[in-house]
Amino acid sequence: MSAADRSGTWVVIAAFNEAKVIRDVVASVTRDGWPTVVVDDGSRDATQAEAKLGGAVALRHTINRGQGAALQTGITYALRHGARYIVTFDADGQHDAADIPLLIDALADHDIALGSRFLGKVEGASARRMAMLRTATKVSNKMSGMKLTDSHCGLRAFRATAAPKLTITQDRMAHASELLRKIRTSGMRVTEVPVTIRYTEHSMSKGQGGIQAVRIMFDYFFRA
Amino acid sequence: MIIRILLLCGIAATGWLIFLRRNKLPIHIMIVFVGLGAGAAAVVSPGLADRAAKLVGVGRGADLIEYITIVVVMFVLMHYYTKFVELQSQVTHLTRELAILRGELDEKNKP
Repeated sequence: MSAADRSGTWVVIAAFNEAKVIRDVVASVTRDGWPTVVVDDGSRDATQAEAKLGGAVALRHTINRGQGAALQTGITYALRHGARYIVTFDADGQHDAADIPLLIDALADHDIALGSRFLGKVEGASARRMAMLRTATKVSNKMSGMKLTDSHCGLRAFRATAAPKLTITQDRMAHASELLRKIRTSGMRVTEVPVTIRYTEHSMSKGQGGIQAVRIMFDYFFRA
Repeated sequence: MIIRILLLCGIAATGWLIFLRRNKLPIHIMIVFVGLGAGAAAVVSPGLADRAAKLVGVGRGADLIEYITIVVVMFVLMHYYTKFVELQSQVTHLTRELAILRGELDEKNKP
């Protein structure tokens, strides 16, 4: 993929209190030439400054609005700056920048490419987490009517032309389910791409627990 | 007797506050005043509530008032919840625009 192609692809990262790891995460993406926008979602630490040091455009929500809101802010910024393709990437170091070209290649004949850890590789996850993720995928498939192998992977890419149909209105964590519902109802062409997810102590500490799952369900059904 | 005076004072104070802060359509104010008037009438003459209850097939006036109160409270809750969700969305929109504007200014002023 040429440098010109890369300049039309924006990587969007939503980050909250990620000062410890964000510089390295951003550097791993910008090193490969991908324009990157980090949205610091009202962190209490130096996330924004660290993201800038990594080479990203770093925006900051003055107040915490949630991961969905932060992602949409990054997507809006990228679209206003001429993005043709948009990639969403996690801030906690779980994702591998080497997977980005695979996702973009898949957009040659699809509108949306979703990363799948179950088609690819998972490193460092406990058996309990894997079982939880598989269950979440089954529930999500029932709700969205889709047949995905991994419904909640944050590593995904889509064409700028698909973005208006995928506008995130769920400010918090229910945005992942919202996106699937919108993909399903919009009739866009979607594919899954094998990706590698690396769980670290840091990323595991940021994972979603049972109470969070209940909150996500509440947001999904009763908000927006 | 004391409770009646207290209740009537409460209804009058509520009416006065609504009148002072009126910013809705006259029809909204009228509906609120009709409700307050019905409440005052039920306080002054409890027999009225009993008769109204019998008319609509409820045993006691107190039960009728309780049912109406529950429905009104549910309506008010839903109304304010909808407003709350709408406000949340507006706050997010403003936060987003502010973040993008500041980011663009930062990029422009980069040495």
